[in-house]
Amino acid sequence: MTPLLRLWLFSLLSVFVGAQHTSNWAVLVSTSRFWFNYRHLANVLSLYRTVKRLGIPDSQIILMLPDDMACNPRNAFPGTVYNNADRALDLYGDNIEVDYRGYEVTVENFIRLLTDRVGEDMPRSKRLLTDDRSNILVYMTGHGGNEFLKFQDAEEISAFDLADAFEQMWEKKRYHELLFMIDTCQANTMYSKIYSPNIIATGSSEIDQSSYSHHADSDVGVAVIDRYTYYNLDFLETQVLSPSSKLTLGDLFDSYDEAKIHSHPGVRYDLFRGGEQEVRSRLVIDFFGNVQNVEIEEAGAINETRWREDLQQLGRMIEEARKRQNTSRITEDHPSSDAAVSSFKPAPARKFEGAARIDASNGLGKKVIGATALLGCAAAWMASSWYESRTKG
Amino acid sequence: MLSKVLSIFLSIFFYFTCIALGSDYHERLLLRPLPQSALLASFNFRSNTSATSFEQQHFRYFPRSLGQILQHAGTKELHLRFSLGRWDAENWGARPWDGAREGGTGVELWAWVEAESNEEANSRWLTLTNALSGLFCASLNFIDATKTIRPVMTFQPEGHHPNSTTDNLHLLHGTLPHEVVCTENLTPFLKLLPCKGKAGISSLLDGHKLFDASWQSMAIDVRPLCEVDGSGCILEIEQTVDMVLDIDRSKRPRDNPIPRPIKPTDLECDASKPYHAHDSCYPLDKKAEVAWNLKDVFGRPIKGSCPITADRGPDSETVCINVAPEREVQIQTSGGWTESKSEDGFVRCYRIFGDSDFDLNFPSQLVDKTVPLAQPRLYAARSINGYGQERGSVQAVITNPSPVDTIDLIYLESLPWFMKPYIHTLKAAILPSTNSTPTPPIKETYYRPSLDRHRGTHLELLLTVPPVSKVILTYDFEKAILRYTEYPPDANRGFDVAPAVIRLLSPRAPRFPHSTPEALKRGTYLRTTSLLLPLPTPDFSMPYNVIILTSTVMALGFGSIFNPLVRRFVGVEEVGAAGLAGAVRLRGFLRGRVERLRARFGGKGGKGE
Repeated sequence: MTPLLRLWLFSLLSVFVGAQHTSNWAVLVSTSRFWFNYRHLANVLSLYRTVKRLGIPDSQIILMLPDDMACNPRNAFPGTVYNNADRALDLYGDNIEVDYRGYEVTVENFIRLLTDRVGEDMPRSKRLLTDDRSNILVYMTGHGGNEFLKFQDAEEISAFDLADAFEQMWEKKRYHELLFMIDTCQANTMYSKIYSPNIIATGSSEIDQSSYSHHADSDVGVAVIDRYTYYNLDFLETQVLSPSSKLTLGDLFDSYDEAKIHSHPGVRYDLFRGGEQEVRSRLVIDFFGNVQNVEIEEAGAINETRWREDLQQLGRMIEEARKRQNTSRITEDHPSSDAAVSSFKPAPARKFEGAARIDASNGLGKKVIGATALLGCAAAWMASSWYESRTKG
Repeated sequence: MLSKVLSIFLSIFFYFTCIALGSDYHERLLLRPLPQSALLASFNFRSNTSATSFEQQHFRYFPRSLGQILQHAGTKELHLRFSLGRWDAENWGARPWDGAREGGTGVELWAWVEAESNEEANSRWLTLTNALSGLFCASLNFIDATKTIRPVMTFQPEGHHPNSTTDNLHLLHGTLPHEVVCTENLTPFLKLLPCKGKAGISSLLDGHKLFDASWQSMAIDVRPLCEVDGSGCILEIEQTVDMVLDIDRSKRPRDNPIPRPIKPTDLECDASKPYHAHDSCYPLDKKAEVAWNLKDVFGRPIKGSCPITADRGPDSETVCINVAPEREVQIQTSGGWTESKSEDGFVRCYRIFGDSDFDLNFPSQLVDKTVPLAQPRLYAARSINGYGQERGSVQAVITNPSPVDTIDLIYLESLPWFMKPYIHTLKAAILPSTNSTPTPPIKETYYRPSLDRHRGTHLELLLTVPPVSKVILTYDFEKAILRYTEYPPDANRGFDVAPAVIRLLSPRAPRFPHSTPEALKRGTYLRTTSLLLPLPTPDFSMPYNVIILTSTVMALGFGSIFNPLVRRFVGVEEVGAAGLAGAVRLRGFLRGRVERLRARFGGKGGKGE
């Protein structure tokens, strides 16, 4: 089979099975530090609660919180974050797992997370372990501007960085479909540079438009949620009631009311295969809920003998591993047999790179050595000058 | 009297800890009211697994998630602390567990890692910190080489390690004083427990109350324990939560925790004061102990007993209270319970049956006899002195209140690399200086200087404090200037310096007859608060200003040269009449317009006159 033909077949296959995804992931990022940005953390935590309610498990949610609002000394409600002045819903709750927090929320870590370029010690809970059958929701909120978004008021991610990161994800087959959602000032500029396929992007405001906060809570003391997120949640919480909801992204996008949001939300359809029509027919649950589809190959495709071969191969591997472990256990269990030999081995010198002991007397000795050296130099100089004066004389 | 108080106090804690190698799961809650309507709640959970089943990855009560990390990182003994707040020793007395189960503000981690070489130990330590950061939702991965030290004297292994391996055990210690402790750390902590906060005393652990406490410390200790005859070893995980709650504060409703002004009619005034009048009120001093119950203070009652606790013996009694014998306690439960009292009557323990809710109700009561408070053996405070952006000094005051005992202690400092101490300025003075030739309080010094951006300073001192006196330890330091990118986003807040750890060495057993070997092995510790070090911080907008200004200057300079270079200069006579005609026509048009305007305005003015 020529590579071209194989590629063609693959693309054909992907078109057929294209509608299917087998896992759902969410990357929820707040990029603002400091207490007065309470609402950005509340935005993200509201989304966290929603996707968790619709079934995405904690292990498939990457939550990035750059500051601690729940246990902040300024918070009159310890261990709690609210997104509404009625304080009906505690977003922090009893069960929360924050994957990146504090100073860990940086542009570098965010891009490394998306592209999975992480160190070998990186724990699994901090990685986006997606494949080409994963639908990902990427939600970002913070302070931004024309084609950039500030991280912690110290650095920025540009629309180009984001576009390149998504392209790398596509090349590495790290997503099937991706919904990018952003709530910041001039948000629509952030997705304008994305060029990778199968991405739906939506933002809160056009270029030169601000995104506004919805309302403040006088006891919390600051604004508690942004308008765009508030009306998104309004839709998700009141209409998408269970993972079996049949509402589409079109319904969600149509629910955006510019008069209420006070800015012009935008949607980008052109990257998606099938364009606007296809995007609008996608279910909300495809991105906000957890769908565990199982792909079943067609009956004719199953090769009986190959399947048996695989099974036998697996059996052999297990047997081998078991044997290997047994031998290693035997050697471990009988250290006494070579204890006699090992006792003759010189013990490795304990050279721990710890602190060294300083003795006061040691210091005195050094002083004596220094004084002697100084005196010696002085004597040599005196002697030489005396000798010179003699020779001259 | 003092020794009696101490013995009562110590017996309470040691009573709980002397049961070792018993059942596989053990939990206990101790509640002790403290002065000024504070309440100490001390939770302790222990799970065991045999060493062989641990090696074969057969986990029952020992949490698998943590066990596999320990195996992967070759860690033999682990101590992890999440702490918040300050223990107020003046009001609350001696620390629970002799301070051995608490950490400095933020996160503290120390472990004995098995490795052949230093490099291997360091890489395993990195593996461990990274894995734990994923498990406990904390930035433990920030404990890198600059924050890691290898203490010499301060920490001793609590577990039993075979002699063959002790040579290869490396002790590493790291602290994150800036790390916040919040619900996301409690969630994984509860998931390690067999009953996962659903039943037993762990059902009282609620983040909303725990992180509202005046002081709290969560601890995880993993250690191997072996029988004396060498017949077998177990691996024990001990999880401890200690917190001091303000009862009045905890009783406020969760949806309205902000204290509002009391109505004038509800005020209880002290009418005996001479200035008492209809418009002035001196609050009445209430002698009675405040009324409270578990549901008020923790937000919910105990949800039955954890089904895997022991059926009989002292292990089965999971809730203990340390109150005066005459203090009235009402038990509210629909299930069964039993009560047992200690000999002196100061400790009451309860065993809970079944899974119905269990609540303890303490009505308001006038009690003339309060529980004696054990006084701490040592007080310590540390502060930064000096001013300016360049240097400063640190002062630590260690006070020995005992009238008879001389105390030996180890003082450990782990300083960040950007705080560079001058060791030649390290001085220890004894106050009051009674005799003319006092013995120098510093007996031994271990020191490892810092390397910029590679490691911090490690200073360990063996000190002696005479009775009824203070040792004042001072040293000067220099502040480093960081690189632009090394500043954190909130650099103007300052940089946190890890608390100093103090370990008490003597006096030992004779004064403390109740000290079990276990408690002696744990040791007695004390930690100072963390320090906030202001470093010189640049104006972070400056680079942008410089870039903008430079660009402007460059644009002006470049433009003024580029403009003449690309332009073609043409003399007037070189341009033909046709070329000029357009210009003349334009000039005429403009002049005409101006004339017309002038005529109009002139006319208007004339009318008005």
